This record gives sequence, C-alpha cells and structure tokens, in this order.
Amino acid sequence: MSRLKITRRTLLRGAGAAVALPWMEAMAAARGPSPEEGPLRMAFFYVPNGVHMQDWKPKEVGGDFDLPSILEPLAPVKEELLVLSNLAQDNARAHGDGPGDHARSLSCFLTGVHPRKTDGANIEAGVSVDQYAARHVGSATRLPSLELGIERGAQSGNCDSGYSCAYSSNISWRTPTTPSSKEINPRLVFDRLFGGLGDGGSADDRRRRGLYERSILDFVQEDAQSLRGRIGMSDRRKLDEYLTAVREIERRVARADEDSERASDVATARPAGVPKDYAEHVRLMFDLLALAFQTDTTRIATFMFANEGSGRPYPFLDVPEGHHDLSHHGKDPAKQEKLRRINRFHMEEFARLLKRLKETKEGDRSVLDNSMIVYGSGISDGDRHNHDDLPVLLVGRGGGTIATGRHVAYTPQPLNNLYLSMLDRMGVPCERLGDSTGRLEKLS
Amino acid sequence: MPIPTPPRPSPVVLATVCVLALASPATASAEEEVAAPARAVLEKYCIACHQGDKPDAGFNLPRLLERGSPATQRKPWRRVLENVEAGMMPPEDQPQPTDEEAELLAAWIGGEFEKADCDGPADPGKVTIRRLNRAEYDNTIRDLTGVDFRPADDFPSDDVGYGFDNIGDVLSLPPILMEKYMAAAREVASRAIDAGGEPPATLHDGEALSAVNGSAYHDDGQILASTGEVAAAHDFPREAEYVVRVVAFGQQAGDQPARMELRVDGRALRAFDVAAEEASPGTYEHRFRAPAGSRRVAAAFINDYYDPDHPDPGRRDRNLVVRSIEIQGPFRGPDDAPPPGHDLILVKRPATPEEYSDSATAVLERFLRRAYRRPVTGGEVAKLVRLAELARENGDSFERGIQLAVQAVLASPQFLYKVEVFRPVRDRQGKVVDQPNGVPLSDDEVAVRLSYFLWSSMPDDELFRLADERKLHDPEVLEAQVRRMLRDPKSDALVENFAGQWLQLRGLEVAAPDAGLFKDFDEPLRDAMRRESELFFAAILRDGRSLVDFLDADYTFLNERLARHYGIDGVAGDDFREVKLAGRERGGLITQASILTTTSNPSRTSIVKRGKWVLEQILGDSPPPPPEEVPALADDSGGPIVGTLRERVELHRSRPDCVSCHLRLDPPGFGLENYDAIGAWRDKDGDHPIDASSEMPDGASFSGPVELKAVLKGRKAQFARALTEKLLTYALGRGLEENDDCTVEDIVKAAAEDGDRLSRIVTEIVKSPPFLRRKG
Repeated sequence: MSRLKITRRTLLRGAGAAVALPWMEAMAAARGPSPEEGPLRMAFFYVPNGVHMQDWKPKEVGGDFDLPSILEPLAPVKEELLVLSNLAQDNARAHGDGPGDHARSLSCFLTGVHPRKTDGANIEAGVSVDQYAARHVGSATRLPSLELGIERGAQSGNCDSGYSCAYSSNISWRTPTTPSSKEINPRLVFDRLFGGLGDGGSADDRRRRGLYERSILDFVQEDAQSLRGRIGMSDRRKLDEYLTAVREIERRVARADEDSERASDVATARPAGVPKDYAEHVRLMFDLLALAFQTDTTRIATFMFANEGSGRPYPFLDVPEGHHDLSHHGKDPAKQEKLRRINRFHMEEFARLLKRLKETKEGDRSVLDNSMIVYGSGISDGDRHNHDDLPVLLVGRGGGTIATGRHVAYTPQPLNNLYLSMLDRMGVPCERLGDSTGRLEKLS
Repeated sequence: MPIPTPPRPSPVVLATVCVLALASPATASAEEEVAAPARAVLEKYCIACHQGDKPDAGFNLPRLLERGSPATQRKPWRRVLENVEAGMMPPEDQPQPTDEEAELLAAWIGGEFEKADCDGPADPGKVTIRRLNRAEYDNTIRDLTGVDFRPADDFPSDDVGYGFDNIGDVLSLPPILMEKYMAAAREVASRAIDAGGEPPATLHDGEALSAVNGSAYHDDGQILASTGEVAAAHDFPREAEYVVRVVAFGQQAGDQPARMELRVDGRALRAFDVAAEEASPGTYEHRFRAPAGSRRVAAAFINDYYDPDHPDPGRRDRNLVVRSIEIQGPFRGPDDAPPPGHDLILVKRPATPEEYSDSATAVLERFLRRAYRRPVTGGEVAKLVRLAELARENGDSFERGIQLAVQAVLASPQFLYKVEVFRPVRDRQGKVVDQPNGVPLSDDEVAVRLSYFLWSSMPDDELFRLADERKLHDPEVLEAQVRRMLRDPKSDALVENFAGQWLQLRGLEVAAPDAGLFKDFDEPLRDAMRRESELFFAAILRDGRSLVDFLDADYTFLNERLARHYGIDGVAGDDFREVKLAGRERGGLITQASILTTTSNPSRTSIVKRGKWVLEQILGDSPPPPPEEVPALADDSGGPIVGTLRERVELHRSRPDCVSCHLRLDPPGFGLENYDAIGAWRDKDGDHPIDASSEMPDGASFSGPVELKAVLKGRKAQFARALTEKLLTYALGRGLEENDDCTVEDIVKAAAEDGDRLSRIVTEIVKSPPFLRRKG
C-alpha cells in the first residue's frame, strides 16, 4: 500500500507544481514557443523480443479501425494514436554478420545504423534520433534528455552471439561510440530531475557552494589537459568522453539558479529506491517521466521495458517462463497466448502514462498534444525475427502538426524516415539520419 | 574463384633470422609445394559455400586467406582444422574429401602453426586507458580514504567486452556517470573528513517508512490506529552521537495525549507525549549514541485508546500519525575517534594559521601520490593546495579545504582512469622509432596492473615502496608479491570479479526459476549455489590445486541447504565446509547448481545454453554462428511442435542448415540433462526417462555427466589454454590478439610443468611481456 501512496503523492505534488507555476510564462517567453502552445517533446518506448503481430496490426487501414487485442488498452487515447505499418530497420538484419539479432535490433532501433560486430574493442553504432535532437534543443532544459529503463546492462558474458552487452542494453547513443546509459533507480532519477534545487542555506552558502563546484570543475579540466599530452591517440578518445561529460555538468551548474526557481515544491517526494515489483517499478518511472515533461525539465526521453533479448518471466501475469524463450513460440498456441499477455501488459502501463499526459493541461492543449511518443520494437515477430513491418506506434499530435486517430500502411520504407519527420517538427535541421531515404508522408 | 596465395607470416611474428631464411626463393618454393595442394583442397570442397557476401556460418574463406598465414590467424584456422579432422565439414550432403586430401590440408595448417616463432620479439599489445569499473571504484575508495559504503551501487552498470567489465576500450563515460562521480566525491570527502559544521541529515519519509500494525495515512506518513510502530532502516556510518527527529501528531482521545516511544533495534530510547494535532504536527527530537551499522529506528504508539461510547464522537479513538523520521549525524564527541580519513589523509594539521600552507602541502602530496598511484610533482601539489586555500579565503576551515581538494582529486581523470603514459622511443630527429617488443611499463604502472588484477583495487604501501625501489620487473619479487597478494583477503575480489564473470555467476542473481515448478528454490539456496562455486574457485586458486579440479573433483563446498539440494547426507548447519564426495555425480564446475541454473530457462533446462557454456567457458570455443534468421526450435510443417525437449532439439538439428552448429553445441548439453533447471538430480523429464548420452563431434561418446567429465578431462590442454586466455584478458583489460598466442602457450606450458596449478598461471601472467610492457 505504501508504494501506491507515494506514487499518488508524487502525482499530486507534481500537479501542484504545474498549477502553482502554470508552466512558467516567464521561462517559456525566454526560450521558444509561446506559453499557450507549450514546448514540443519526443519520447521513445522500447519493448524487447518483438510482439505477437497477429494481435497487434489492425485489419483496417485509415481512420476507421478496430484496436486488436494488444492495442486495446489504448482505447482512451485512440484519437491521439497512429499505428504505422511497414516501417523497417533493415540494418538490424545480419548483412553477413551472422547471429546477434537482438543486439542489432536495439542498437539499430533509434539509429538506423548497422552496429559493428564486436564483443570488445571499438563498439560502434550511430547517433540515435533522441540524442540528435538533444544536441540541438537540449540546452533549453535542465536535462538535455532522460534515459530510463528497468534492467541494468548485463553483468557478464557477451550478450548476444559476439556482440558486446552495450548493444543489447542501450537504446540511446550519444555518439556512434558512446551509448547513453539508462537510469533504473527511481530515486536517482528523481535526484537528477529535481535534486540540488532549492536546497537550503543562506545566499552566502549558495554562493560558496557554487564557487567551490566551479573550482573543482576547473581543476579537473586542467588535470585532463595536462594528461592529454602524455597519452596515446586512442587514449585521448577516452579522455574526450570525460571532457564532454564535465562540460555538460558545467552547463548545468551555470543554470542552477534559474532552475531552482521551479520544481522546488516537487522536490520533497523522493522515491525510496527500486521497487521489487516490476509493475510498480514501471509506474514509478512513468510518474517521473510525466513530471519531467510537465515541469519542462527535459523534452526528450527514452524508456526500455527490458533489455533486448530479455528472458524476464512475468509471474504476476501467470507467465513463469522467460519472455525470450516464449517469443520463440514455434506456433504453440499456449505460448502465443502468454506472449500476448506480456505484450498487453506493457501496453496497459504505457496507456496509463498516456492518459496522464492527456489529462495534464497546457493552455488549451494537453502535454500529450504537445508530444510525439514512439512505442515499438526492433524485431517484428519474435518467432520469425524479421525487421520489416516493425510494430510502431506514434502517439500525440506533435503540437497540432500530426493528424492522429489512424492506421497508416506505408509502402515499405525505413523507420528512420519517421524520425526525420519528427526532427523537422522539433525544429532540428537534419537531411539524413542513418538509412533514411526521405520524410515520412501522410503524417499530417 | 581462385584462392589468393596467403602472404608469408609477417616479420613481426618471426625472428629476424627466420625472415631472411623464408625470403630465399628456394624455401618459398618448397613451401609452395605443400601450400598449393592444400589450397586446392580448400578450393575443391569448401569455397563454394564459404565465400561472397553471405558466406555460410559467416565464414569467408577467401577473406581469411588474404589476411595471412594460418600462423597469424590461429583462431579461425584452428576451427578449420578441428572441423576437417573431426569430419564435420563438409556437411554430409556435400562431396567429401578423401582421407589423403583431409590429411594434406591438416598437415599444412598444422605446419603453418608450428612456424610461429615464440623466441623473437613479441608485440606486447596496447591497453587502452581503463576507467575504474564499479567494483574497482568501491575498493579503491575504501583503501584510499577508509570509508567503505559502496558508492558505486548507484552508478550505471559497466559495459562488458570479451566477457569482462574491465576492458578499457569498452568502458565509456557517459555524462550521467560523471554526475555520479561528482556526487560520490562529495559524499566520500564528507564521510572521510570531519570538517566541523553541521553533519548531514537523512530524511526517511514516504516509501522509506515501513509500519508494523499501521497503514498509509492519506498521502503523507503512516497511521498507527492501534499499538504498533513506524520504522526506517538507517545506515550509521560509525560509532558516534546522532540526533533523531520524528515529525508526528496525534488523533487525540481519552484523557491523555498520544504517547510515542523511540526505539533503536527494538530498544526503547525515550517516550514523548505527542500533543500536537494534524493542523501543526510536532517535531520530537532525541540525541543518542549508536554504534556503526544498519539499524532499525522506530517510532512506536504505546497508549492506544478506543471508547465507542465516549459522548464526544471526536474523542473516541486515539491514534498516532508519523510523517517522517530524520536522522542527523554523526556528531563527534570529544572522546570519539575521528572518521577513518583522518588517519589516512589528515596526516598533518596546522597549529597556527602560518602553517596552513605547509600542512596542506604535506597532506595533499601524500594523498595525491596515493590517488594518482604514482609520484607527483610539486606543481601538481601546488595546484591542489591552491584549491584548499580557496576554502580558507572564504572563511572555511582547514578541514573543509582538504575536503574540497579531495573532492576534486576524486573527480579527476588521473584518479578515475588507470593511466599508462605514452613513452615513444625517438631517434635524433625526434621521429618515433617503432619498438617491435614494446617498452617496459614504469614500476608504478606495474604496481597498478598487479593490484587491480588481484585485488580490484589500488596498490598498498608495500607495492608503492617496491615501485619506488624499481623492483617490480624482477621475476622473483613479482612471484613473492603474487603469493602475498593472493593470501590477502582483498584477493576475494579476484574470485568475485574474475570467477563471477568467467563462470557467469553474476547471472545467478537474476535467474528466476519458475516458482510453481521449483518450489525448493529460494534465496538461501541461491546464495548457497553462488557460494559453492566461489569457494571452489578460491580453494583451487589459494591452495595450489590443479585446474583439472575444475573439470572433475572429489570434493566440493557445501552447507546443509545445498547438501540437501544435492541429496548428500551428513552436512548440518549454515556454514560452508569442504566435503569429500562419495560418488561423482557431483564434483567439478559442470555439476554445480549455480552454473546449471544460470544456463537454464525459468521453466526448463536448455541443452543449447548448457552446451554453449561448456564450449565457451571450458573449451574456449565460440560456437559457429547459426544462419541468418535462424528458425529456433520450429519445424517445417507450420504446426505446433510436440515431444520431449530432446526430441524437439533433435528435430531442429535434423535440418541441414542447423546440424553443423548443433553437432558441436548440443552434446555437452545432453550430457547434463540429469540435472534439472535448478541443478537438482533427476532421472526423468516429466514422464520420460532421461537420455543423457551423446557424442562429441570427434566421436568421443559418453552417457551422463560422469562420462562427460571424463571426456572433458581428456581435453585438459584445451581447457588450460581457454582458462589462460580468459585470465589474461581479465588481467590486461583488453581482448587478446594473435600476437598473444605465444604468451598463452608459454604460460600453459609452465603451468603443466608445475602440476597445472592455477596459481602458477596467475604468476606466469604477471611475469609475461604483455603484462609488464606495452607498445608505444
């Protein structure tokens, strides 16, 4: 019970913040869109092992379609929903690299790039669409982007047939060689979102704290520079990673005062840690994600229900078998039924979040109206392991630029075309991303 | 398509003398006499499938030949050799080579292997600068500052490469991790050094509170409607005084206010009358001493009152609502020992303001030397002293200044990365001269490699001293150090981190056996499984036992819980002990429940996962890749599949495109079918009797785990090589290259001459060129 309670409380406080600071005219005026419209957000939700496509793909195309059983939980947001068929991530296929489909599917999903097969040195995929956007619009918010998940990266072994575990546990890639690790602990997510803001002390205390923090950042950057001259070329690449990370913190320190004016009310309900219960864990993360969007702490997010190839059982759904094992159902109806249960459960949780975003108002619109939220998997049918006709949803009206409430069947084309169209709407100039061949039509 | 002539072995691999000899036309043509027919065999039987954009099994033969002699590409060629010798390739439905042809090919590959010359200059390879991983960070902080609270638990997981999470190339540093480093540095500095001022306060509210006999109160706090308590678990960093503050109010009734008792680990500290009401909750404060450790701090409701007949309906029910429990501390009393960092870091304090700078220099020079793990320059120390002085200029104490400097060091790259300096050899014009066998590491760098290999932590004072004395390239000193370091309990880190990853024991933490099918499985059993494998590994490592014990042993380590799981009598109690085994159904890694469980699915065993585990971890053989879009356990009829697991796997194997992989993968998995998905012995799978017989690709047949172990023991050399490769990868923090082959051979040979002792392998790794030298 106490868990539910804190969730509710977080919610209430969050709503309170939104009321008290009707998402901050002053701030919005300072950067970007007008307060009535609200900022545009994008988010990406990932489910591993594909889905049971027979119960996903609507039979009808166009505005008049029935939701198949896996999509049924989305009924309350059907008007904000687009089901997109025939989009592919061709670079998730082997192309001569042999097995390792799960690793490829995830690292390709937001990049459209064929990841380099290695379980050690020189991991390389591409810049993912969320990070591409974060580079351009991330400076408008306290956090450029938020990477969330439920499972840590795998702890040992090569994760998938000779692919480093980095590939099957990271959806978001900051550079082709640096994946952005996800945060799985709700308490730490909370701290990232709201921590250090508005904590006490006199003006002089705050001034001193700021001074010390800046001095430390100066020291470590000098230290890095002095090291640079003494190490080899490939080591310098690693050091550059370090410097990039430090600069990002520097930027945040510089913004701290401005940010502390917001969200100080939110900052009291801090989750205790990682809930043991999977569903509760997902819900808590979604609450935080909703708060992050609502308070405009970030405009870009990713979320992974589990790592790709996950063998997680779902005992609370009466599914004690591992998800991955079930996905290779060999047409066994009993297994298919269990798979559907898992798929539907994920959808129910997702729908709960969407409903909340829909109910959160920004002027005349809702946060959901001002969002573009993708849900999908890099594998289509988990038994066939194909990467064409992926399960893809786009939810939210993109600030009124997307005509929702339809099932659109495209001529087969890269999923990255959708991303290109989303970047357009975010105001991010991009002519080509991964294997994109153009914009996705029929969105508006 | 004609096969390109393989270029001769590169001069790097061969001694200079040999290069000259090989370069002579006579030798070249003699070599051609053997090589040409061998290539003809490849061309005749292999190339049709293994070429082009989508070669079978992802194995592109022309490309492999272009890369050079088999001597420089041992791994793939060793697989070719095995396939040919075992008759596994070509597949049965393809034309087969004659025995003479197969022998000719094998002789050529074998001959090329022989040519690799291990006496010449050996390229020691290049290790990319390694960031401390989570285990290393925690241990280093512990040894450097004396505070031990596992700060890295909050860090994102480290990426894994070549099977381990300490590989320089793979370990990245995303911004989120840098944030955590900054936060951890602040926390460590404040725990290690007492800078006066207010100690930190931790607020437990919301989810952090648990109630006995209580429940959530609206959206804030817990209500006790009858006798009960609200508690929080708090970690007291050390013995000292603490202040606890409870925010609470009463729902008053009867003739006295609600009464609340403060308890620590069930012991009553003090009772309060809680007269406050909901409109303005009260704060109830108490100062007390607590020893270090995690304890339960509780606020109990002790005067429940309920009178349904009270005339005033608002005064009928007395309850206590607890909003939060805050604990502040440690407060240091005059007689309390200072925090651990005072001994380790604050080696000098200024008696007068004039001494400030000298004291800061003394303190920070020592700290910086230990944190950077190398001698430091006056300039480096001076920069740090300036940072400490900034605190004084702003009116803060000496200790606060040191805290600030410590914080900065802990966030700096020279602490967070294991730095090895680039020392090129240059000629007179200043041009870099290539050194085929690399250059020696500095003694400090050797100390760092040693300590992180065996302890996953920084060097201790003895290693620093030996580095200062330039003794760490002396083989005898190194041998003595390895012996000393393995005896030190800090070498548990090698068991935890190397064995944990090699044996994939870490996977046991997330294994989730189907609770309906495996009612016996619980947390104590999970712990016991892990413990058995760790103790087994540690015994072989520390007691000078033979690595053959990994394959089969007549002893293992059990407590009562695990012994019961194995059906072994006579082991009582929770403590683990070495147990002599009567039968051989247990004994050796592949019979251990930890490994058998992690290689199973939640509801059934997995023949393929187990087979793959044996192949990769024991025999060091990566299974050949399955074809693209592999149909997993499906059949061609489109209908659902029936039958036992074995029958289904065999059906799957019967497909020509699957058979070549599964001929290798499955046999060890079949041999382990007598163990269920949590490693308990079974004679039946459902109603079907277990058939645990199979045959290795080379024809060695067996039935059941005992005979399988005998087969594996017959491949001791292969296992020794595989284990050495894993250990060397872990020790160096990089993937192995062809150049490392000679090193591996030498180590395996030295170990074989010393009873195959695992500790000998560790010692030989430490003395090997790749460990002591680097390229560039």
